[in-house]
Amino acid sequence: MATSVIMPKLEMDQETATVIQWLKQEGETVTKGEPLLVVETSKITIEIEAPASGILAGVRVGPGDVVPVTEVIAYILQPGEELPAELTPEAEPALPPSPAPAPTPDVTPSPPSVSRPATPVAQRLAAAHGLDLSTIVGTGPGGEITKADVEKALAVSQPPAEAQTEKVRATPAARRIARERGVDLSTIAGSGPRGRVQAADVLAAAAGPAAEVARAEVTVIPLQGMRRTIAERMTASYQTAPHITLTVRVDMGAFEEARAQLNARAEATGQPRISVTALLVKAVAQTLRRHPWLNSTLRDQEIHLLPEININVAVALDDGLIVPVVHGADGKSVAEISAEVRDLVARAREGRLTPADVTGGTFTISNLGPFGIEQFTAIINPPQAAILAVGITRPEPVADEEGRVTVRPVMRMTLSADHRIVDGAVAAHFLTDLREVLENPILLLW
Amino acid sequence: MRELSYAEAIREALRQEMQRDERVFIIGEDVGVYGGAFGVTLGLVEEFGEERVIDTPISELGIAGAITGAALTGMRPVGEIMFMDFTTLAMEQLVNQAAKIRFMFGGKAKVPFVLRTPAGSGTGAAAQHSQSLENWFVHVPGLKVVMPSTPYDAKGLLIASIRDDNPVIFIEHKLLYKVKGPVPEEPYTIPLGTAEVKREGRDLTIIATSIMVQRSLEAAQQLAEEGIEVEVIDPRTLKPLDKEPLIRSVMKTGRVLIVHEACKTGGYGGELAAVIAESEAFDYLDAPIIRLAGRDMPISYNRTLEYHTVPQVENIVQAARDLARGRM
Amino acid sequence: MTLSEAKKRELLRQMYTIRAFEEKAEQLYAMGKIHGTMHLSIGMEASAVGSIAALRPDDLILSTHRGHGHCIAKGADLRLMMAEFMGKETGYCRGRGGSMHIADVEGGNLGANGVVGGGIPIAVGVGLSLKMQKRDQIILCFFGDGAANLGPFHEALNMAAIWKLPVVFVCENNQYAMSFSVKKAFPIERISDRAAAYGMPGVTVDGNDLMAVYEAVSQAVKRARSGEGPTLIENVTYRWRGHSKSDANRYRTREEIEAWKQKCPIKRFRARLIEEGILTEEEADRIEQEAYAAVDAAVAFAETSPEPALETIEEGVYA
Repeated sequence: MATSVIMPKLEMDQETATVIQWLKQEGETVTKGEPLLVVETSKITIEIEAPASGILAGVRVGPGDVVPVTEVIAYILQPGEELPAELTPEAEPALPPSPAPAPTPDVTPSPPSVSRPATPVAQRLAAAHGLDLSTIVGTGPGGEITKADVEKALAVSQPPAEAQTEKVRATPAARRIARERGVDLSTIAGSGPRGRVQAADVLAAAAGPAAEVARAEVTVIPLQGMRRTIAERMTASYQTAPHITLTVRVDMGAFEEARAQLNARAEATGQPRISVTALLVKAVAQTLRRHPWLNSTLRDQEIHLLPEININVAVALDDGLIVPVVHGADGKSVAEISAEVRDLVARAREGRLTPADVTGGTFTISNLGPFGIEQFTAIINPPQAAILAVGITRPEPVADEEGRVTVRPVMRMTLSADHRIVDGAVAAHFLTDLREVLENPILLLW
Repeated sequence: MRELSYAEAIREALRQEMQRDERVFIIGEDVGVYGGAFGVTLGLVEEFGEERVIDTPISELGIAGAITGAALTGMRPVGEIMFMDFTTLAMEQLVNQAAKIRFMFGGKAKVPFVLRTPAGSGTGAAAQHSQSLENWFVHVPGLKVVMPSTPYDAKGLLIASIRDDNPVIFIEHKLLYKVKGPVPEEPYTIPLGTAEVKREGRDLTIIATSIMVQRSLEAAQQLAEEGIEVEVIDPRTLKPLDKEPLIRSVMKTGRVLIVHEACKTGGYGGELAAVIAESEAFDYLDAPIIRLAGRDMPISYNRTLEYHTVPQVENIVQAARDLARGRM
Repeated sequence: MTLSEAKKRELLRQMYTIRAFEEKAEQLYAMGKIHGTMHLSIGMEASAVGSIAALRPDDLILSTHRGHGHCIAKGADLRLMMAEFMGKETGYCRGRGGSMHIADVEGGNLGANGVVGGGIPIAVGVGLSLKMQKRDQIILCFFGDGAANLGPFHEALNMAAIWKLPVVFVCENNQYAMSFSVKKAFPIERISDRAAAYGMPGVTVDGNDLMAVYEAVSQAVKRARSGEGPTLIENVTYRWRGHSKSDANRYRTREEIEAWKQKCPIKRFRARLIEEGILTEEEADRIEQEAYAAVDAAVAFAETSPEPALETIEEGVYA
């Protein structure tokens, strides 16, 4: 039975979709579930899977065509099967009424109509690959199309094998365990050579909470777009940069007082308030000037100390995370930084950041204080050397040097640094210097 | 238990079998008063006389033919070829005659001989006295191939080989002759076709033959200090091969390193790898099957080059570690 | 077929050089500077030197595991020999072959051989090649009494004879195939008697008499070069040392060894030259001293030569 391939309706209010690219050629054998073509709606670009296994035939739309949803765009035939007359596309009024179905009871699909002479081998080869012979220039006697001509055309038309299927590398043991436990190998990052999935990887994945509910209802979200970028960058960072993490406790009394004064002034003059983030960015930028190793990058066995101090500020989004940059933060005023951060955050949430807004960062600050987090460890944003994780500021009992306990506003911040570049002592000096600035904001004037 | 060297264990097996069965005799070059090139048969001519410890001219093909003919007609000869390299001179009789007679004659004859021969490098004897040609014989149906790695195994396997009704190629290793180990005084047999787990472990299986068993055990000891538990298995007889213990071990560990001294290409490791890949252990493999073997080249005279031509303990440690840690 | 006085002096020097080389080799082994094993021809020098003296410089030889003498008599560079002996990169075989496989292909020595009788069939091929190429050279193939009981000996002699190849087969009968005496190994008195079975001349000579060896081999060389075919010569001699380094000499008596030492081929040839007035005692002593000095120089060269580099380990397996 021929199976029709339709332009699927993907969204509630969708009427059409645009064909971007066929991933399979006419005449090619496809397997059910294999990506067949790429289409684009007003919101997304998505791969359409083959609804059945067989041979792709009767493709009637091409790249750029805008096709109404639910319309038949191709067929999948079984070997030897013809395009049935009743399924012959009605959407082509120009088609003359065919007298009878073409009688070619062969197991291989019938060769496409030939407008040029071609050798039998070339015809068979072209048919097997769904190649239109009329598009090929023959180099044989009298312009006859030869096998070599078809092979040449195929080499040009076919995407590289790698792009067609991404085979998961996995050991036999990993495959067996995945089979036994119902784990999808393609979702597992392999720890072996060339990313090969090994038994331990599958066992770890199977032991995770995700696997326990695997039998129940699972919401599957493809790892793509921003999610995929984050996944890849964080994995790369964590695997290549040996992280050292250091935490300090900061008395934020003076900091809060200074901010209160600044904001009182802002209110009095009708200017926007100064955010905690802006002050942090300023303090970090200024401290980095004295600690160039934390503002560096490792490139080809060389450590590059960077002349500019560009601070990334991590911004949480509904579906991810983005880190826009305050360029030249050490040379900007707190008010300037505050306004710039506000603008960047707003545009990030609206999806209007430009490439310049997110590139060139040299150090990252991630503040999860607003989420009530006391302390956490962040993964370095490559190719930077370090990242600062800032927790919530809240009252805590603190003992002073004489042992007297008072309640002070306390914040914990954790520095993660790339140990290939920065040793513990260097990181410690930076962190304690930063604490000094935060505890004595007057030093920002230094 | 009393300790004997590998050479002494072999000599004791010969002596006990000659005492037990007068059909058993020794024949080879310089096996008499000289005691064999490596002294294995020292003293036997004094005990059993020149009629049962027969020196021959330098005639390897003649020796092979003599043991074939004698075995065919009721004797149980133990031939010796001074170096395994020289078995090449005896190939016709071994491969075309001894191995095939029983089959060709419809099972109505048998050729119960043992051909002892020392293999292996490490003595500075260069390219024509250092080869490990066991796989030449493994490929010939009708022959059994035995390769002991310890004094205990050498005695038990040699007695079993002498009592076996088939032509057995018994491959000794020159560097093992002086290695000592516990050996019971009374005669005993180790059935041909029984592998032995020489050390238990859960992380990795090493299948090794002959001297590589000793080197693998040494490597396993070192790796244990790193927390890697290696299982070492010695097939002991290459043919017939006792497959089950190998398969069971690989199903347990999921990783297998095969170590032998003979050149890698066409070596026995290829056979072992195929046996595992074809078995139910396939689905338990968590890494490629890795072979560590001699380079595909002759043995050099120069000591350093000779050393680096065949696997050494440090090579085994390295390969086993990489394999166990999922880096291969 | 007479030898000039200068040539005779040179032959004495060669014998002394062989003796010096092998004594030094033994010493070096004792000092742990050599590994593996070696096979010494001390006591057999006249066989090597007398045989090769009958050749032209462009003639070829095939040697045996006991081949130091053949190599030196064929004109090898002592330094390259000693370097090979010590496994050095500068040796004839770049340290890969060692004592048992020294070859000097350019000098016409197609190699010592680790396998008894291994060279005899090769001699047939060399002879065939020389004949096919109409080259006016001959091949002299050394082997021992032990090799004469191998199948390849018989096949090779027959083939060389039926095709009348320019081969001289020289059997160095030193009385023992390792421990196996020729008295036990042969049912015949003379190994050269086997030549009759292949229709070639067979000659047995006193292998410790350099001139006797020279004359017998010269006849055979003449025959070979003139296209009449091969000859089998048996040089009856004796090795003073064990078969190899691991030989305890259990198969022979001390008296027997001593008796043969009295028949030293070097002393014998030296006495003859002095008697013929070709040499004085002093001149003979000087030749001897120079031979030992040359060997010392070779040792110095070898000891300061580099080891083969490990990265070159797989070189030379294929052309």
